[in-house]
Amino acid sequence: MATRDLTTVLDATWFAADLTTEATGRLAALGSLADFAEGTIVVREGEVCESLGVVVSGRIALRLRLPGGQDRTILTVHPGDVFGWSAVLPQPIATSTGVAVMPTTAVLFDGNRLKLALAADCDLAAAIYGRLLVSVARRLTATRVQLLDLYRPGNEPW
Amino acid sequence: MPAAYFLPRNELDRLFGALVADGRRIVGPTIADGAVVYDELNSSAELPYGRTADTAPGSYRLRTTGDRRAFDYGVALTSWKRFTHPSLIPLTRAHRDADRIVVESVLEEPPKLAFVGVRACELAALGIQERAMRAGPAGDPDHAARRDAALIVAVECAMATSTCFCTSMASGPEVDHGADLVLSELDDGFVVRVESDAGVPVVASLGLRAAAPDEVERATAQVAAVREVIGDPVAANGLAARLRTALDHPRWSEVAERCLACANCTLVCPTCFCTSVGVASDLDGADASTERSWDSCFSLGFGRVAGDANFRPKVRDRYRQWLTHKFSTWWDQFGSSGCVGCGRCIAWCPVGIDVREELAAIAPVSAPTGPIPWPPSPPEGRAPAALATITPARHVIATVRSVVPETADSVTLRLATNDEAVLDARPGQFVMVELPAFATPPISISRIRPGGLDLTIRSAGPATAALTGLVAGAQVALRGPLGRGWPIDAAIGRDVVIVAGGIGLAPLRPVIEAILGERPRFGAIRLYLGARTPRDRLFVAEMNALAGRADVEVAEIVDRAGPEWLGQVGIVTQLFDQAGWDGSRATAFVCGPERMMQATAVTLAERGVNPTAIWLTLERNMACGVGTCGHCQLGPFFVCRDGPVFSVAELGTAFGREGL
Repeated sequence: MATRDLTTVLDATWFAADLTTEATGRLAALGSLADFAEGTIVVREGEVCESLGVVVSGRIALRLRLPGGQDRTILTVHPGDVFGWSAVLPQPIATSTGVAVMPTTAVLFDGNRLKLALAADCDLAAAIYGRLLVSVARRLTATRVQLLDLYRPGNEPW
Repeated sequence: MPAAYFLPRNELDRLFGALVADGRRIVGPTIADGAVVYDELNSSAELPYGRTADTAPGSYRLRTTGDRRAFDYGVALTSWKRFTHPSLIPLTRAHRDADRIVVESVLEEPPKLAFVGVRACELAALGIQERAMRAGPAGDPDHAARRDAALIVAVECAMATSTCFCTSMASGPEVDHGADLVLSELDDGFVVRVESDAGVPVVASLGLRAAAPDEVERATAQVAAVREVIGDPVAANGLAARLRTALDHPRWSEVAERCLACANCTLVCPTCFCTSVGVASDLDGADASTERSWDSCFSLGFGRVAGDANFRPKVRDRYRQWLTHKFSTWWDQFGSSGCVGCGRCIAWCPVGIDVREELAAIAPVSAPTGPIPWPPSPPEGRAPAALATITPARHVIATVRSVVPETADSVTLRLATNDEAVLDARPGQFVMVELPAFATPPISISRIRPGGLDLTIRSAGPATAALTGLVAGAQVALRGPLGRGWPIDAAIGRDVVIVAGGIGLAPLRPVIEAILGERPRFGAIRLYLGARTPRDRLFVAEMNALAGRADVEVAEIVDRAGPEWLGQVGIVTQLFDQAGWDGSRATAFVCGPERMMQATAVTLAERGVNPTAIWLTLERNMACGVGTCGHCQLGPFFVCRDGPVFSVAELGTAFGREGL
């Protein structure tokens, strides 16, 4: 897909909606669209996370392996939000396994290229890291609330 | 008729005789266990002649004065509420025979009493209790009957104890209203004023002479001297507002280190009215009875609800509740202070906590005024008119027509009844549901339909376990419908956002059905449903059917799931925190665990929904359901009566605040 079209795609997402036109354009130049069939593992827990993704359509389930070998879904990523944010960390090791639970389209950004671009462009870095921080903070908040297990029988005040 | 009469001291028994001739038993001050108490008297000889009380924080000592006065002791240890609001009364008797149950009231006709020796502050206290217990939306029939059966012979104070502060609370020491007869004790007798029609025949039967002007003057002078002695030890003007803004004062924690939470203060307080209902039964639960007894907001379990949640777990929380209720939120609830300045709570506090000192420290006149945590008075339109006929002893028997399993621990009871009040329930209201031998839980109505209603119940304790175990044909006793429901009309012409967490969907289902019943009157309808796991989702088929409609948006999310679940996982706010809709046009209805509702309210506000348009239903220990037992208070609100549905704007920062 052409950069101009990818810019349009990104503009429609929460992740990139508030970026300046210039920043979105530079970001689009680094990305490419990818389609994942249902069941595709897009990132695997404990392995190198090569790409940051922005979901355009579909749904990615983030799963953790429980002792005993079973997987548990801890979060789903819906259109507009990101997965594979570990790709921009110095040690890009994935913290969960991402599985497309329905046909999913995402914009992928190669982690190494993205890190180099952000290191060279402070304005873009400020914009992108800010959005990533919001996304990660949102997940942290959600995780805290999930830890409270609010709906546990006997945990509700009635 | 003269303005005042004179009763010689040695003729006091004639007054007693006249009261007895009026068919009354006499209750007055006497000495027991080293203190003056109010108890039944056979003659005036049992009055505490020549005795007075020296009081101080944590101290009460009787002392002999050597004079002949009978009423120079301040106030008795016990207050008159012992007779107008007894510490224990039977409420109901219930019987279960197979599936059939009978619940009947066992309220007794009260004795006809004469209260002799009622102080001005105590008259004010009786009035305050009347406003709380009689004039409330439900009205306590037992209290009303006892109050109506009492004739009051007040005695103006001729001395003050060191713990008196009636002057600050505008409740004394002069008796100016509320009594039938008023006595002023002089060394040689009593100046008697008649203050009501009921007092006229009593005095007429005594054939008293008119009081001489000097006798009246002496009576007036001695009560005026009492006022001077007491002074004005509490800065009551503006106190309610100052306390509202002092909820985070460090003094609450400091006083909690001294407070034993023994509840002495509330037991001796003449206005405290909180109660609990106890259940007793035989071993098989076939016969059961309930009794109402005094309780205290200092009790650890007072704010506890099923699931072992406790809204006021710390002594600090409970002391703050008591003090702020007495001196601040009582105004919101009943239009007056809840304190009359009798000083009992000071003298009988075993560690000598002095409310005068605490108030001066926590809410000094010099305290800067900050934003108040909730509106200055509860919103209008709270209690439905039907409440006037619903007392804690009135039950409706309903029959279980069918039981619908919902989740592993929840069922829906489909109840049938022809009671018009119950069938007139509105979305968001609840009913108290009683089975003999079990506590009576409040249960939200999950469907209102012709001939009955549905209750969706999760097994969380003995009572709800018994209810979820019922089978078709069984009976339950209901009281209700109670509380204020969802303001659906406020959403007409607007978009509707419904956010449910867990079993919180149950009280929202009637909202959904009501709105869909008049679909064209509303804008976009969005349902956001959260659950613990996929297996814990409620009303799955119904929600799936709604999701299939083109005019309703339904999204659901679970906290955790295995790989077989392909739906969304996370918290319910993630369903809409990045949505594109315009919240300024929306009215939201929210129900779930309080922490979930807090997060939801924040996210809705971020989406542009006005706090006045975010409605949620709170859960507290709603034990009586009609605002008389005191358990469910949250700031100025009785959640059962003023809610359980509130807007976020109404609750202010009381919503989600720790320890309220």
